Amino acid sequence: MSAASNSDAILNQFMKDSLFDALPMGAALVGSDKRIRAVNKQFEEVFGVFKGRLCYHALKQTQRECATCEADLCLAEKQMLVADHVLVDRHGRDIDASLFYQPVSLTGSGDPDHVLMLISKLTETRKWKREFDRLFEHVPCYISILDKDLNIVHANGKLEHTFGRAEGASCYKVYKGRNSPCTDCPAMQTFSDGLEHSSTQEGVTHDGKLAKYFVNVSPLSWGSDGVEKVIEISTDITELSRLEKEALDNERLVAVGQTVAGLAHTIKNLLMGLEGGMYMVDSGLKKGDEARLERGWDMLQRNFEKTTAMVRDFLSFSKGRVPSLIQIDPAKIIADVVELYHDAAGQQGVELLSGDEPAPELAPLDPEGIEACLTNLLSNGIDAASVREGGGGQVTMSTFDREGELIFEVRDNGIGMEADVKRRVFTTFFTTKGNRGTGLGLLTTRKIVQEHHGVIEVDTERGVGSVFRIRLPRQELVKVEEEQKIRNEKALQYR
Amino acid sequence: MSEKKLVLIVEDEPDVSSFLTILLEDNGFTTDIAGNGREGMEQAAKLHPDLITLDISMPEESGLKMYKLLKENDDLKDIPVAVVTGITPEFKRFIEQHRKLPAPEAYFEKPIDKAEFIDTAKELTGQKS
Repeated sequence: MSAASNSDAILNQFMKDSLFDALPMGAALVGSDKRIRAVNKQFEEVFGVFKGRLCYHALKQTQRECATCEADLCLAEKQMLVADHVLVDRHGRDIDASLFYQPVSLTGSGDPDHVLMLISKLTETRKWKREFDRLFEHVPCYISILDKDLNIVHANGKLEHTFGRAEGASCYKVYKGRNSPCTDCPAMQTFSDGLEHSSTQEGVTHDGKLAKYFVNVSPLSWGSDGVEKVIEISTDITELSRLEKEALDNERLVAVGQTVAGLAHTIKNLLMGLEGGMYMVDSGLKKGDEARLERGWDMLQRNFEKTTAMVRDFLSFSKGRVPSLIQIDPAKIIADVVELYHDAAGQQGVELLSGDEPAPELAPLDPEGIEACLTNLLSNGIDAASVREGGGGQVTMSTFDREGELIFEVRDNGIGMEADVKRRVFTTFFTTKGNRGTGLGLLTTRKIVQEHHGVIEVDTERGVGSVFRIRLPRQELVKVEEEQKIRNEKALQYR
Repeated sequence: MSEKKLVLIVEDEPDVSSFLTILLEDNGFTTDIAGNGREGMEQAAKLHPDLITLDISMPEESGLKMYKLLKENDDLKDIPVAVVTGITPEFKRFIEQHRKLPAPEAYFEKPIDKAEFIDTAKELTGQKS
């Protein structure tokens, strides 16, 4: 026998007896009845005895057939398939594996009658990739990957399920049906500065429903000139914002109830003042007491003026006033208010100052509304500073930009507030001024600030003073302005 | 003629306290004014008035607090109190929540009925049978 034929024989022998066992993975030959006919060494080491067992018994230790049987598919389609499964080894431990299904014919002719199953454990990387794919598809968020033209390169199932076909289309088209990017697009910001950006947006689902979502954009990959792709993850907050609005409506109703109660109280005090005035005028006349007559007349006048002021305040609070925004210099509003009240403050022994912060950019504001807010806050500040122990009361009004917000501040060095006063100050009809205040000033202020999508807050310390701060996020101001445009356009249509 | 009876008016609203002062003085009383509950307690302890009119709707609830302090003070609890207020429900709730406290001797809602007010003031200071 020649050396060559000898080596051929050895090779044939190896192929016949040992190749199956030498494979670096588990292998099994499974019949169309799912019974395992043969396995290699690797398989036996991992899954134990196989004789007579069904493949799902041996591989998953379960009595139930898999929901989708790739072995069946492989035989039917006569082609190789790959699928990932979580298998269970003979010690009961889970194994993440990729299974390759190769149709074979034992007779070597005709249709395949068996499946050769090769079982490869997943590497960590593949395992993570699989986990990621699962997360990407099943996470309860809309996820998309955008390129620089704001086209969606990749979208998850939830996004396409809610907003319709997404891949290849622009994000503004998919989410909102728009033909141009949104003015406050967080993705464009991320492309330009490489930072994470987020915002709240409203879109329209493929079946025409309004959807509100919170979107967060992060850079995903970088190229030679900056961010190449971003990932946009949006959480649906439609239901949440509905609940929020409901809570706000309830809060408003409660406030209205308290307002009516407080109003009744104020009116009764005014009536009592008027009654007193009438009594003094009346008895002064009868007694010929001119001094008393004069006091009574003053009292009538004062209470009449208070009634007028209260009615005016109440009307301005209850009026469903829509803010009318124009681009204006916030510093100018402050300057106007300071000029207007400088002398009045001086008369109460209070110095009125303007802050020295760098002037903010122009902003879309309702000047009349903001001026009313600042006047209300200023009037409170002057009152608090005028009773400062030892005099030297000051009120400082300032406006500046901070972290994307336009800020207005009214700071006094007056008497400050107790905790319970601070707690109630914006929420209900509330006054500490007896008959001098209507209790509507801060309520009206809060309403106007809310109409600008802003917040008002107060820092206060008893004996040190108070700072009332109006915070208006610039992004929100742009939205209020857009809403106003849409309203105006609609109004024009119906004209 | 017996000595004039003293009424302590506890009221933060100057127009209301001047009205009550003149009304009471026209009807034979002498008066003293306190602008809040704290001052009210000081004056009550010092002057021991024959009647106290108390506004319970003053800022920071000091009227309610004064009422409680008065009625818990053995020395002062027998001074009759006429509550004069604009807010009915708040005072009723207060009395319900403090069941140990007695109800006030008289109760007037603003604006007051002058004749009824004076009648009650005379009755509470023992000038009327």
